[in-house]
Amino acid sequence: MTSLGPAERAVLLAFADDEHLMGQRHTEWIGVAPFLEEDMAFASIGQDELGHAAMLYELVISDLTGATPSAQAVDALAFRRDPADYRSCWLVEAACSEWATALVRHWMYDTAEALRWQELAGSSDVRLRDIAVRAMSEERYHLRHADALLDALAGDAHAGARLADALAEMLPLGVALFEDPLGAHSAVGSVVGRPLATLTPEWRAAVDRRFGSRTWDSIEAVDQAGRTVRSAQFATVYADMREVIMLDPDATW
Amino acid sequence: MKVYEVFLKKQGKDEFRHVGSLEAANDELAVVLARENYVRRAEGELMWVVDRDHVLVGDEAFIAPNADKPHRHNDGSVVAERRRAGRADT
Repeated sequence: MTSLGPAERAVLLAFADDEHLMGQRHTEWIGVAPFLEEDMAFASIGQDELGHAAMLYELVISDLTGATPSAQAVDALAFRRDPADYRSCWLVEAACSEWATALVRHWMYDTAEALRWQELAGSSDVRLRDIAVRAMSEERYHLRHADALLDALAGDAHAGARLADALAEMLPLGVALFEDPLGAHSAVGSVVGRPLATLTPEWRAAVDRRFGSRTWDSIEAVDQAGRTVRSAQFATVYADMREVIMLDPDATW
Repeated sequence: MKVYEVFLKKQGKDEFRHVGSLEAANDELAVVLARENYVRRAEGELMWVVDRDHVLVGDEAFIAPNADKPHRHNDGSVVAERRRAGRADT
């Protein structure tokens, strides 16, 4: 029944982990976003990312088992793996306690995400194409939201300085997002499209258009060892997102 | 920040209805934020977001005199009663 190869599965699982962790981190702003309207919008975007993660986890499981996965099976993949088995990038694991870093990360991640979904929208696998079409319809909003906020803040000198600091802080993590997960190098092809690394130039050009051009050679990506190593900040989000399921493994949401 | 009023229209013959307001730094953010604050559960199919400063206001004193015109609430009951009484006489 399996139609995804191990390398393709590695690509999709890493993307799912990125979406999952990004959603989890975004939801930390519920109740403390800079103003009420943004609180609602940002939480909603986080929820969309969790939805994307769920669609990808479900696809990976159903591809292996040939059946629609139970909620428990999806939860097991999402919440019950050892940290070493996750393949998230460090950008989504980071704890952004400043709104400026959270906003810059939101823009960086969604810009990269749009490129990744575009690849999957051209997949030879119709299940992936359907998921990508759904996700892209939501991504359009996410990017417009991030751009609108950045545009509104661009004219303010204080906000501009804080965003510049946030950008400098997040760029080494941002460029590392394009590290393909271990075992994915042979996945180039009709199902998952180009490897992540080849999307880098488009993403960097977008960053330059948004924030002004820079010398990319001077920005050193953090070393994630093929996404096999978790960042120091993973532990806190891992503990938070597992709080309920560790109390009640059969919890229904 | 400016205040914006949000209107939604459901499908079919329903008219646009006021659903609430929000604060936003500019027009683009107002539309972006209205989407998740008022339509995230598909409460409408069409959305108007209006800068409150652009709403034309007829002030209270100007519209108040119309509150005291019961003759404009004629539901025909007086005439109907007279006609019934007339039929009974014949």
